Amino acid sequence: MDLTDHWASSIWFWLVLLLVLMTGSLLVGSVTTNISQLWQPDAPQFAVVWELRFPRVINAVVVGACLSVAGLLIQNLVKNPLADPYLLGVSGGAATVQLLVIMMGLSLSQSWLFLSGFLGSLLATVLLLKLSYLGELRPNKLTLNGVVLAFGFAAVISFVLSTAQGQQIKSMMFWLMGDLSFARPSLLMVVLGFLACVWLYRHARSLDVLARGDLFAAKSGVAVKKMNLWVFVLTALLTSMAVAQAGTIGFVGLIIPHLVRMLVGHRHRDLIPMCLLVGGCFLLLADTLARTVLSPVQLPVGVFTAIIGVPVFLWLNRKV
Amino acid sequence: MLCTEQLVLRQDDQTVINQLNCAFGPGEFWAIIGRNGAGKTTLLHALAGVQTIQSGTVAVDGQPLNQLDPLSRARKISLLLQEQEASLTVSVTEAVAMGRYPWPSTRQQDQQLTDEMIHRCGLETVRDKSILKLSGGERRKVEIATCLAQQSDYLLLDEPLNHLDLVHRRNIMQLFTEYSQDHAVIMVCHDIEVVKTHCSHVLMILENDCYLSGSSATMLTEHNLQKLFNDSNQHD
Repeated sequence: MDLTDHWASSIWFWLVLLLVLMTGSLLVGSVTTNISQLWQPDAPQFAVVWELRFPRVINAVVVGACLSVAGLLIQNLVKNPLADPYLLGVSGGAATVQLLVIMMGLSLSQSWLFLSGFLGSLLATVLLLKLSYLGELRPNKLTLNGVVLAFGFAAVISFVLSTAQGQQIKSMMFWLMGDLSFARPSLLMVVLGFLACVWLYRHARSLDVLARGDLFAAKSGVAVKKMNLWVFVLTALLTSMAVAQAGTIGFVGLIIPHLVRMLVGHRHRDLIPMCLLVGGCFLLLADTLARTVLSPVQLPVGVFTAIIGVPVFLWLNRKV
Repeated sequence: MLCTEQLVLRQDDQTVINQLNCAFGPGEFWAIIGRNGAGKTTLLHALAGVQTIQSGTVAVDGQPLNQLDPLSRARKISLLLQEQEASLTVSVTEAVAMGRYPWPSTRQQDQQLTDEMIHRCGLETVRDKSILKLSGGERRKVEIATCLAQQSDYLLLDEPLNHLDLVHRRNIMQLFTEYSQDHAVIMVCHDIEVVKTHCSHVLMILENDCYLSGSSATMLTEHNLQKLFNDSNQHD
């Protein structure tokens, strides 16, 4: 489907939608609020909105943006439009190492957690590529290996959590399905994420060519080894940032790049900014639904991304 | 001039090209012929700078390829690959525009060249289609148009006529012949008739690291062709 001439392909539409969603998300929840109360410090809702909901809204937007760009990158790395950091175990690797670091009592700040997760997703990606590379990268083999690795990491996480009783760790929901209610974005992460996206935007044309195959890119004049190394490191970086903030959330990195390709075509200079915006909107919407549909019960956000993501994956897999 | 000096290439632990010296210049249309597995593709990749060289050198206009940065190399040399790799999808127009990657972007000129190559390769009717939805022949023409849009001095072609029907073969060979007027074209090809009709020079890869090169007229003799294709029985 080609929607490149559709009104929804305008970046301004998504920018406005993001602002609308952010405002809407601040207003809804177990305590109802109306818009005039947002700026009244003595209203009882003021603290709820600005101390609980606002960080969560920002968190959802940042994590959604990170995950969708990570998805875009991993699809470029393995030349497969069905790749996703969660499905291929990259998120799982980050979560496992983070959890182990916490269990060993080494947990320090949010930034250290994120760096240990970064190490975990780097290791998971290396493992996946090593296992799937037999002379050439075979897409089917890679997808299957990734899914199995993701199961393996989930099992390790479940094992560690089941045996660790009474310790102060986040819930199993956080590690396996994602939960946006915990962390606030740390400055280190925001700065690194911003730099990563600037770098990617500057190399957008090389990414376009790289998506056509490594040999194709090499003969076209791309420094392929260097570019692939960067794409690989930045995939792991963005994924581990998302995991440190919100646990493992699936399918964002799969659905969003696909939707954005339908909207703006295949040039990364259009894809990258659009993925950031649409990814932010999508996860914010999913999280707002997760905390309001059965309010005051809060559902894991991963339930909603999966409810949308699974049919989309199956539909895509028929087409690819 | 694109030349090799004492070039040795290995593929899967086997030496496929041994001590090859040759030179390709502008205004020449070369064919590289040899039997399956003789190392034609490996040689072409080495000439394009995307293949590791065991020893010896490949130099373009006096500069060894491994000392050139990838972009400057791609401005000098373009390569048509024999097989498609796993790829994410793009539209035909986006694909052909990638031929302009090595050059500093001047949108208008890029657009113009892209359109021209799409027109000359007969791809107007599919220009907005995804490349993954094309037929084998159409996909081949997209790759050829991409290489031509690159406007490099040396155009290397690995079996360019694969998947093409007779009408398109003629049309595409015409394009290459025109291109060879002021550039060098080097083509791996199995069709001796095509070579006879279009190529000015021939490099033959024979058995036992024996290489013959020269003008088509002197090279495509009965004797040489027999050597190329009938020799094997004596060795088997």
